[in-house]
Amino acid sequence: MSDLRIRFDHVTKFYGSLCVVDDLDLNIAKGEFVSLLGPSGSGKTTLLMMLAGFERPTKGRILVDGEVVDDTPTYKRDMGVVFQSYALFPHMTVGGNVAFPLEMRGVGKAEIAERVAKVLDMVQLSAMRDRWPAQLSGGQQQRVALARALVFEPRVVLMDEPLGALDKNLREQMQLDIRALHNRLGLTIVFVTHDQSEALTMSDRIAVFNKGKIEQIGTPQEIYDHPQTRFVASFIGETNLLEGVIDGSAGNSLRVRLPDGRQIAAAASQALSTGENVLVSIRPERIRLDDLHGGENMLSARVADSVYQGNHLRIQLDQGAHNFVVHLDRKAEQHPPGADVVARFQPDDCWVIRA
Amino acid sequence: MFQGLRLSFGVLAVVFLIAPLVAILPLAFTSSLFLTYPIPQLSLRWFDELFTAASWKRAIFNSLVIGGGTTLLATVLGTMAALGLRSWRLPFKGTVRTLFLLPMVVPAVVMGVGMQVLFVRLGIASSYLGVIVAHTVVAIPFVVVSVIGGLGGIDQRVELAAASLGASPLTVFRRVTLPLAMPGILSGAVLAFATSLDEVVLTLFVAGPNQRTLARQMFATIRENISPAIAAAAFLFIVGTILLAAIGLLIRARIKARRGV
Amino acid sequence: MSGTDRKKHLGSLALIAPLLVFIAVFFLWPLATMMSQAVSDTAVLKLLPQTAAASRGWDPETPPTAEMKAALAADLQAVDDRQALGDMTRRLNSAQAGFRTLMSRTTRALRSEQVPDLGEIDERWDDPRYWQAIVGALSPTTDRYLLAAVDLERDVSGEIVAMPETASANRAIMLRTFWVAALVTVACLAIGFPYAMLIASTDGWKRQVLLAAVLLPLWTSLLVRTAAWFIILQDNGLINTILVGLGLTGGPVPLIFNRTGVVIAMTHVLLPFMVLPIYSVLVSIPDNLMRAAASLGAHPMRAFLRVLLPLSLRGIASGSLLVFMTAIGYYITPALIGGAGDQMISSVIAFYATGSANWGMAGALGIVLLIVTILLYAIYGRLSSAEERRG
Repeated sequence: MSDLRIRFDHVTKFYGSLCVVDDLDLNIAKGEFVSLLGPSGSGKTTLLMMLAGFERPTKGRILVDGEVVDDTPTYKRDMGVVFQSYALFPHMTVGGNVAFPLEMRGVGKAEIAERVAKVLDMVQLSAMRDRWPAQLSGGQQQRVALARALVFEPRVVLMDEPLGALDKNLREQMQLDIRALHNRLGLTIVFVTHDQSEALTMSDRIAVFNKGKIEQIGTPQEIYDHPQTRFVASFIGETNLLEGVIDGSAGNSLRVRLPDGRQIAAAASQALSTGENVLVSIRPERIRLDDLHGGENMLSARVADSVYQGNHLRIQLDQGAHNFVVHLDRKAEQHPPGADVVARFQPDDCWVIRA
Repeated sequence: MFQGLRLSFGVLAVVFLIAPLVAILPLAFTSSLFLTYPIPQLSLRWFDELFTAASWKRAIFNSLVIGGGTTLLATVLGTMAALGLRSWRLPFKGTVRTLFLLPMVVPAVVMGVGMQVLFVRLGIASSYLGVIVAHTVVAIPFVVVSVIGGLGGIDQRVELAAASLGASPLTVFRRVTLPLAMPGILSGAVLAFATSLDEVVLTLFVAGPNQRTLARQMFATIRENISPAIAAAAFLFIVGTILLAAIGLLIRARIKARRGV
Repeated sequence: MSGTDRKKHLGSLALIAPLLVFIAVFFLWPLATMMSQAVSDTAVLKLLPQTAAASRGWDPETPPTAEMKAALAADLQAVDDRQALGDMTRRLNSAQAGFRTLMSRTTRALRSEQVPDLGEIDERWDDPRYWQAIVGALSPTTDRYLLAAVDLERDVSGEIVAMPETASANRAIMLRTFWVAALVTVACLAIGFPYAMLIASTDGWKRQVLLAAVLLPLWTSLLVRTAAWFIILQDNGLINTILVGLGLTGGPVPLIFNRTGVVIAMTHVLLPFMVLPIYSVLVSIPDNLMRAAASLGAHPMRAFLRVLLPLSLRGIASGSLLVFMTAIGYYITPALIGGAGDQMISSVIAFYATGSANWGMAGALGIVLLIVTILLYAIYGRLSSAEERRG
């Protein structure tokens, strides 16, 4: 793998007796956009801090471009970091902030001016060059932080929840902007977030963190459609999980027996043998509601609650359908609470996870 | 090497800050007539002197009377003013606040000269009242600052909530504002007492021989005929300070624990 | 303003009023009294009330009237305070040479039974110049204390001139005050800034210990701290015992009753005022700024110079102002630890007020000290309110 940029090799980090990163391996290729996704305290930020050189691994090593960097101080690592709260220098103007890394590298005055102008233009902040950070809006500050981290063309750009402080619309705009910059400049980006939709939107690959370990790593589609663990299935998007036992297989279809004795058909995802305990994950948007009985993979239930959520209807069923949550197209017919319905789903939409 | 430098600087600085206070303590128990190390023998003679010699006894009594008077006057005036400043929305608010803090800034000697002359005219020179009034002037800023600080921590919505639940303004004050402001008021009172206890300069100017306070007596002792009685007095001061601080912290911790903050 | 608003308003006013009155009477009035002392001069007026009445309306270019001479003679006969008479004569003599002999001759002559006309005692009493000096001294206001506070005086012709070297001391004392205060400020900064950085860079119990080490002296009586330094610094005190014991010095190093002792003790006393403002600024600087600087390629030293130092300047300025402002008004520590040559302006004021009952001079020097202090406080207030606005 000649285009390998970063390699975490059995990296472990303890704070006292608390293990925050547990024997972790991860490879990141040049030009790749990798998100580290997980709840707070899952070790994703610590991993980023170790990569930036603010923290030292307790065990294991980190390699960048094939060289171990554990003894390299931060200021020699050549990594652009975009901090959670931007960390703009309040006593320097926008231009001063962006020029700072170039000054540190002894770049000549004329070249600094030129490169600062170019990068400010790129983030559409040319007019703000002489403003102070405190005079900027949150989104503008964010873009200054981005410009400052990009201007010296670092080997890697690290972003620690950079969009967390922005409101929803701005955040979505910035997600697209950063994604576009990544594509245009061929940047290698490691992006820490706890927002799964952000990770799905932006990344080439997502590493889902839980308790210091990577639960699963893969493309956004793999992570969403084919979660490998219960944690990933429930952390990424909303899902309905059913516990069951493999009852048998026929062709490329599996039969799963639920605790109440009912059976459902599911697509075979991996080699599972009869008698194994499994979880079946069915995404709420894959479920249809009607009032026709018969056929496989149907559960008759009563609507417990129905909530209009703008782009869809969120319907909660009662225990007849294992308290399933169903997302329906907003134009779908109303199912008022108390209505009798039949929930129906395709075997292909039942994803089986080994429990 | 940098770590070593940091550590040794830290240790030296802490020693510089704390050592003088520690060094004076054992000398309170010397049997010698002199304030020097090594101590020949341990003895309580200087504490004995403190509590039996007429001048020291009188000074301790005076300090308690004047300190008590100052605490009462400064706490009442300062708390009222802080409460008033809180709801007062006038352009002069800043000016008034600054005025109340100014006695902390103006050198004591400058105030002393004016008070000395004025108090004679007002007929309160060389009286307990005069000394209490002078001490109150310098204690006021501490009370005002700590009560304003205490009040600042109160979420005004709590008072609005009380009012919405049917409490009259007076009840809101008595049942909500005052209890919440209590820690600030108490620490203001402690500071006022401590200020009075430690005041020398104004006392020099306005007190007569009958109002010699402990601090004034210590000042004279250091200046004229230094004796280990000063160390004994200092011992009492330091132990008193630590006790007061401990009580203060305890009260605060209790209130915090009870309110679950 | 609505009715309830007005009621609330009046309520607040009623709460503030007592303290306002108290501060006005017992703080502002004393300050005003001190200032008026500095410009008031009724010593001569008190001695010569009849003369003052008689000379009202007198044209200074003309010879004195008989009425004035008679009044002066009566006033002088009524004087029973020899000290006050001596003071007055000295003052008149400095305005008009020859008054000393004139006055002694006159008072001697006035002791006899019948009162002669002053002109018969000495013909100088007919000279308007002597009367001009008296009338000048009768004026209840004077600028001579204020002038003397900065080592100026009026010469015979009324021009403001510098005092002769031998008589001038105040300017030297002020310079000394500023110099000692500056030394203390620099010493506090040299210890306080790294110390504040140390506190800000630690956490847990270490931070608590470092903070307690600053706060404990702050809470301890000033007198106790001064007494402690007295004990430590004296010739057979702790430091000298150790130095001599280790054989580092032959005899005790003089540390007390000199400048060294004053600066050491005052630095100890004022150090918290330097540490706390700097510390509070340092902890308000997000620690990811230094991380950001490192990630952008700044060596720790450059990051310190370019980021941390500029951002903590406000704290440094506040702390330095606070220390300097407090130091110039210090009385107790120099009075107890310093020698005769280390007395600062406060000691001189106290000496004039309590030692020699010269409230004019005490007031004049007090005004100088007050003005300097208030100016420094105003700058300090500006800095800290700017801080609040930013925060």
